[in-house]
Amino acid sequence: MAMSPRKRARISRGVQYVVLALVVVAVVLATDWAKVKNDFFNPEIARAMFPDVIIVALKNTIIYTACGFTFGLGLGLVLGLMRLSSVGPYRWMATVFIEFFRGVPALVVFLALSVGVPTAFPGYTVPGDVLGIATLALGMVGGAYMAETIRAGIQAVPKGQTEAARSLGMSGSRAMISIIIPQAFRIILPPLTNELILLTKDSSLVYLLGYTASTVELTSFGRQTLNQEKNMTPIIVISLCYLLITVPLSMVVRRMEARAGRAR
Amino acid sequence: MSAATRETRTGAAIDVIELHKYFGDNEVLKGIDFHVDNGQVVCVIGPSGSGKSTLLKCVNLLEQPTSGRIFVEGDEITDPDVDVDSIRSRIGMVFQQFNLFPHLTVLRNLTIAQQRVKKRGKDEAVEVARRNLAKVGLSEKEKAYPAHLSGGQQQRAAIARALSMDPDMMLFDEPTSALDPELVGDVLGVMKDLAAEGMTMMVVTHEMGFAREVGDKLVFMDGGIIVEEGDPREVLAKPQHERTRSFLSKVL
Repeated sequence: MAMSPRKRARISRGVQYVVLALVVVAVVLATDWAKVKNDFFNPEIARAMFPDVIIVALKNTIIYTACGFTFGLGLGLVLGLMRLSSVGPYRWMATVFIEFFRGVPALVVFLALSVGVPTAFPGYTVPGDVLGIATLALGMVGGAYMAETIRAGIQAVPKGQTEAARSLGMSGSRAMISIIIPQAFRIILPPLTNELILLTKDSSLVYLLGYTASTVELTSFGRQTLNQEKNMTPIIVISLCYLLITVPLSMVVRRMEARAGRAR
Repeated sequence: MSAATRETRTGAAIDVIELHKYFGDNEVLKGIDFHVDNGQVVCVIGPSGSGKSTLLKCVNLLEQPTSGRIFVEGDEITDPDVDVDSIRSRIGMVFQQFNLFPHLTVLRNLTIAQQRVKKRGKDEAVEVARRNLAKVGLSEKEKAYPAHLSGGQQQRAAIARALSMDPDMMLFDEPTSALDPELVGDVLGVMKDLAAEGMTMMVVTHEMGFAREVGDKLVFMDGGIIVEEGDPREVLAKPQHERTRSFLSKVL
């Protein structure tokens, strides 16, 4: 006798649940829980990481990211506007910059600034030490990505908005600043948040520059402890620290989006 | 390109001479010659694609004319050296899609250009804005965002926004075409009040009733030229031209 499609779906789903449960049971039984607790969730090692993991490493990660993002946002805005310019050379320059820094790994940019610059210009280094290089490198990579996002956001604002602003006597740049860009940023808030989260993780590349007790950021800090203790606990701790940045960020942005949605 | 064939009329608010406009190879305006006197209400009608909205947008240079001359209160705005922004701030414009700034409150929509363009202080700008909101019946809505207003309210707010710049004349681009039928009356009411105050108005519209009642002149456009113009009551009652008759028989 033929089964009804609904009945067949119910049986199929039941089988999937049973298989999943069996897998979970097998994993739980096969795991040596005492060892897992000792190697991954070792309270002594975790405790020894505090307070430095917060007041130095997490703080530095936030500072590098914030400086890189701020510089990148400004750069991205300039590049995005250049891409939309009626002046050909501006468009070409922006396109070359964007294609280059989007295509090259962030790691290469860090190396170019830390090693390449002093080699190319003897006696000269990027000012601002670790923070200076981190800001420049993260900013240039992030700016190249954000430029395209910002350009798309500006183009997504209806043409009527520019017409209305111009018909009130606003100049082109005034209309851009007061009317178009604020609306564009509402549209691109989600992709910009994405970029900020990506930069948070890219800030771990600062390890390439070498670090001291005061300039260490989360990933270097975790690796350092990992090497000392031969234990995975530090990696769990710094992972939670990254989530401590990104999850609240997502929540704040979701709230901002909801507010902007009400005004739209 | 044909050279301008006449000098501008003295005393005309808007004077358009031999205006041509191409979009690529497509000639949308084929030599428009037309004027609006001070205090006149001129309604422009015609089928879609006839060039009437393009003509309106040429008058404040939202579209750049290909050739021909346009004078606004005696100033040639098609002169390449003209200060376009200062000309535009003297001409109010109302759009079919309202085009309020959605990220700003109604009050801020009305004050931002006053402050940024006219360099008015905040108190003065707010006072002017409130006066104009009262005029269009939206005093209660100054803190609302455009998305919270009905279409008719948005369009009245847009009219108030244009009026807050103290324009010498107003351009209306199908101001009621995007509205639900029951909201059209409010907007036309505001426009009638404006006309009664002596505002110079150029109105692209499909509202024949408004044209008949308020208009001083009716212009019928088709295929990028002015086919017929004259007193609205006469044109609507006894159109002289076959194309006008055929258009009016479809819309009336």
